[in-house]
Amino acid sequence: MTSIIAFALIAAMLSAYTLLDGYDLGAAAGTPLIAKTRAERSAIVESIGPFWSGNEVWLVAAAGTLFALFPQAYAVSFSGFYLPFIVVLWLLMFRGISIELRAHLPSEMWMDFWDFAFTASSVLLALLFGVTLGNLVHGLPLDANGYFLGTFASLLNPYSVIVGILAVVALTQHGLAYVADHVEGPLGERALRSVVSVWWLVLAAYVVVTAATVAEHRGDLAGAPLGTVASAVALASLVAVRRFAQRGHSHSTFWASIVFLAGLLVAATATMYPYLLRPYPGETGGLTIFDAAPPALSLAIVLVVALVGVAAVVLYSLFVRRRMSGKVSVAEEAAT
Amino acid sequence: VLADRLQFAFTIMFHYLFPIGTMGLAPFIAWYNYRALKTGEQRYGQAARFWTKIFAVNFAIGVVTGIPMEFQFGTNWAAFSAKAGSVVGPPLMMEGVYAFFLESVFLGILLYGRERVSPPLYLFSAVTVWLGSWLSGFFVVATNAWMQHPVGYVIAHDGRIQLQSLAAVLLSPYAWWQFSHVIVAAVLTGSFIVAGIGAYYLLAKRDVGFGREFVRTGVVVALVASVLVVFPTGDRNSADVTVYQPIKLAAMEGLFESQHGAPLAIIGMPDVTHRTLIDPIFVPDILSFLAYGNFRANVDGLNSYATELWPPVALTYYAYHVMVGLGTIFGGVAAIAAFLLWRRRLFTTPLALWALMLVMPFPYIANEAGWVTTEVGRQPWIVYGLMKTQTAISPNVVSGETVFTLIGFIGLYFLLGVLFVLLTLREIAIGPSEHPSVGVVPPSELAAER
Repeated sequence: MTSIIAFALIAAMLSAYTLLDGYDLGAAAGTPLIAKTRAERSAIVESIGPFWSGNEVWLVAAAGTLFALFPQAYAVSFSGFYLPFIVVLWLLMFRGISIELRAHLPSEMWMDFWDFAFTASSVLLALLFGVTLGNLVHGLPLDANGYFLGTFASLLNPYSVIVGILAVVALTQHGLAYVADHVEGPLGERALRSVVSVWWLVLAAYVVVTAATVAEHRGDLAGAPLGTVASAVALASLVAVRRFAQRGHSHSTFWASIVFLAGLLVAATATMYPYLLRPYPGETGGLTIFDAAPPALSLAIVLVVALVGVAAVVLYSLFVRRRMSGKVSVAEEAAT
Repeated sequence: VLADRLQFAFTIMFHYLFPIGTMGLAPFIAWYNYRALKTGEQRYGQAARFWTKIFAVNFAIGVVTGIPMEFQFGTNWAAFSAKAGSVVGPPLMMEGVYAFFLESVFLGILLYGRERVSPPLYLFSAVTVWLGSWLSGFFVVATNAWMQHPVGYVIAHDGRIQLQSLAAVLLSPYAWWQFSHVIVAAVLTGSFIVAGIGAYYLLAKRDVGFGREFVRTGVVVALVASVLVVFPTGDRNSADVTVYQPIKLAAMEGLFESQHGAPLAIIGMPDVTHRTLIDPIFVPDILSFLAYGNFRANVDGLNSYATELWPPVALTYYAYHVMVGLGTIFGGVAAIAAFLLWRRRLFTTPLALWALMLVMPFPYIANEAGWVTTEVGRQPWIVYGLMKTQTAISPNVVSGETVFTLIGFIGLYFLLGVLFVLLTLREIAIGPSEHPSVGVVPPSELAAER
């Protein structure tokens, strides 16, 4: 039981990362679609400025929690995904400094460079996170100890690549909805209209990924009922995203997008369960949450420590967001 | 193994430069925000904002270089993580959940929220960021301290090191003394930065009011910290090393022969082949006294141990002597400056101000040398007495990959280093009084600057 709670906690933390930093990545990916001036790009960066670093900590904390609760899985997955993960680190660095440093010099070239780095690193991050998730859901070639046997190229299999594409378009939609909800004026309205345009791509990617997942895993899923329900919830929310966006309800659009992504993530988690590292389709082995866990007592203590900490984080994050709420406006002189 | 060790050493040493800055400056930011709220004087608010901007650049680079550290345990050191993960994982998890979140979330208020939140909440955020940065340091040092002196574990039947008591790991006296030493060293660094930049403003004859304030506060704190860094914290660390890691002690001191009344080498170059110090200056019996409180006590030299248990002797020796030598100089500079301050002559003594300004980079070197001493000195062990570094790397990552990523890290970090220096110098050039905004320039001002 503790293993299941531990697995759910890590899945929840990674989902929190996806929902929160996902809008940072998506806003960056959507910037070229909606921002016409340098001041509008500044407004988008300013809308995520106070929060992106706290959002990114969810990823760090989830990695630390995986290390603490399932050390074996942490060791074999991080070393197995060696190159992709190091590339993720480099991209996260570029993304972070492009947000923090762009406003430090009053130079147009300086800002244009960092704006480009901001968008490019964010799109690639969304793609790589999607590909990683795709491989985890699809299954990996593993040896008896759970160490990864494949190559970098084998990670770029068709299934994982389409999950990667779904991640890029779904997070772009999510980021555009965030901008619509957090930036005033024409830029916010343009963002909401772009949600409607991007929507068809999201729907197409959703349908392809769902069909491919059913085709791959039909019959071998322990969590199939939950996955089916979550997937249906995701579809319903996706329809709601479009309707809210068409009617101009930016806040509801953003929340519908959150439920859509959450549904996808629950479906992905249900597909993985009970594996942390699922074996290649049709093969045995793999690393389940029961193999990977340390003895129950120490796991339980560390789990309680983690749960208390995460609960506190959620509470004070909500408090800070409430105090820091309010829309960003585009600087007037530059908007004309 | 070599490439993995180089990569870890390079990324951690580069990363560590920035937490020193954040841990060292955070208390000053909290202090100036407190003064601003208490007195209502505008200049304290400006001082707080100035240091917050410097802090923000440090924090940004610290965050982006810190995340690789959290990942590298798994990517490069999978065998170590699989074997010892149930012990070293929890404190690292707590670093993320209990400290890093606190610092990041409330820094958002500190950077963007001055007009959006009430002054007491703003001060609370500054204090919380301070608390977060120190807690973060604690959990990381606690992890390291466990690897130096393992406690609260059992060896399972499959050879894994299993956590037995999280409390024992977190409350280990070894960890607390190591943490106190690290924190005092960071505050020493921060206070020399505050005083040094103040001295620059006085010498450059600009922002003179701020210059005086920074020098005054910086020198007082530096004096206290330069005492605490030696006694009790440095002394207690040496005592722990004497008891738990005698080979490291012998390497630090360049002591080859075991002897009663061991001398302290002030200078000298270790010659490992001939097992002797070249051109030494000794103070007789002092090492025995420092290690055991007894001038005639026996101190074990390196010759008492098998050479395969020796750390790289020369590096450990030099790093330790650089740290101690610099620490002594800091004490001297702080004492002279504090004396002149007391006699009300410091602001009119250019020589002393020049010394305060130029000493700024050296605390960083001393901090790094301290870590080199403790980390190189514990080799060949990754977990002291339990696991050798040689056996700790990822079995499925080939060294070519590690070399490639090491080169990538070097390139990226060079870029980050240049950006950090550039932007910090720019914030210093702008100064505390001229720029009203914090951290980022709002779009309206950017438009005006275009």
